[in-house]
Amino acid sequence: MMVSDAGGRPSADEPLDDADFGLLDDIRGLFEAADPMPADLPERIRFSLALRDLEVEVARLAAEEDGPVVAARGAEQSRTITFDSESLTIMIRIDANRDGTARVDGWLAPPQRREIEMKTSADSLNVASDDQGRFAFPRVPRGTAQLVVRPAEAGPGGGGRSVVTPALIL
Amino acid sequence: MDGPGSGPGPVTVRASRPDRGMRLARLVSAAREGNDDALGQIVTELSPLLWQVARAAGLSSGDAEDVLQTVWMRLVAHLNEIHDSAALTSWLVTTAKREAWRVRAAGRRQLPADQELLAELPDEGPGSEDQVILDDQRRVLWEAIGRLSRRCQDLLRVIAFAPRPDYAVVAAALGMPIGSIGPTRGRCLAKLRALLASGPQGSPR
Repeated sequence: MMVSDAGGRPSADEPLDDADFGLLDDIRGLFEAADPMPADLPERIRFSLALRDLEVEVARLAAEEDGPVVAARGAEQSRTITFDSESLTIMIRIDANRDGTARVDGWLAPPQRREIEMKTSADSLNVASDDQGRFAFPRVPRGTAQLVVRPAEAGPGGGGRSVVTPALIL
Repeated sequence: MDGPGSGPGPVTVRASRPDRGMRLARLVSAAREGNDDALGQIVTELSPLLWQVARAAGLSSGDAEDVLQTVWMRLVAHLNEIHDSAALTSWLVTTAKREAWRVRAAGRRQLPADQELLAELPDEGPGSEDQVILDDQRRVLWEAIGRLSRRCQDLLRVIAFAPRPDYAVVAAALGMPIGSIGPTRGRCLAKLRALLASGPQGSPR
């Protein structure tokens, strides 16, 4: 029986014991209090995983900037977010509409026609990008949203794979 | 709580979950077969672990959220290669750590170099007498953790959120040497216990 208590020096080479497990539980409690994960994060992640059946490329957040406050439009700050995937860069700018919705302007690089879906917790909005790779969602409800960029047409050549972004909060 | 007081540490508040690894293994195989609910349960179960990995790597909360989203979306593409709880945990922690470093290297919204997270033990406000005793114990533990090396702090912080059977693979995924924790106690936890046993605050009893 190891004496790892009452003044004895618990050795690093002993197996973990109940006191260690208790200590780790307490450490977990401390960090849950000191640095809690946002309670709704798992739910948002589950939302973005709902696409799992698609053969998709996952775009990663590459950059995010807050723009200057556009006072003239009475808007809040705009945000510009860039996502990178293997085949595509997606840049979006998010502005606040006066009615509380968000306006999302986007660009695809390299420029190309694609079908663009904005999944929100309510429903999905669909637009297409033009030859310059530009697209716009004039009014998107605030909340969790996710972009899916699909091939323009399922024709010969396929037009590439679908690309999804992580879910973001508009 | 059941059981007697557990050694020199503060009171154990949480029931231990020795079967967590087995439960995860079952969820992994269900998720591989296309069960979305199983996948969702894994997300709920292991996101707190990945959050600590990302935050211990020095990311802001916003960046940590992005890292978690990316990691989980990537997992879906790799589910077929993952067959047990240890492989799952190891893959997730490794990927989260790598993503966190990538985000940091991109230099976005970085936190001040030595962010003193440990300075801020949250105050849960006035409470009952029991609460005050518990708060004292938490403070003693918190201060002892603060006296460990940064590497040990990060290791214990992350390990505390890992499924018990997976401590060793998590430590390895974090780049810690074999034996740094699990199945043996390892240097960091031994040091923490020595600090608690001999600390100026005495025994938290």
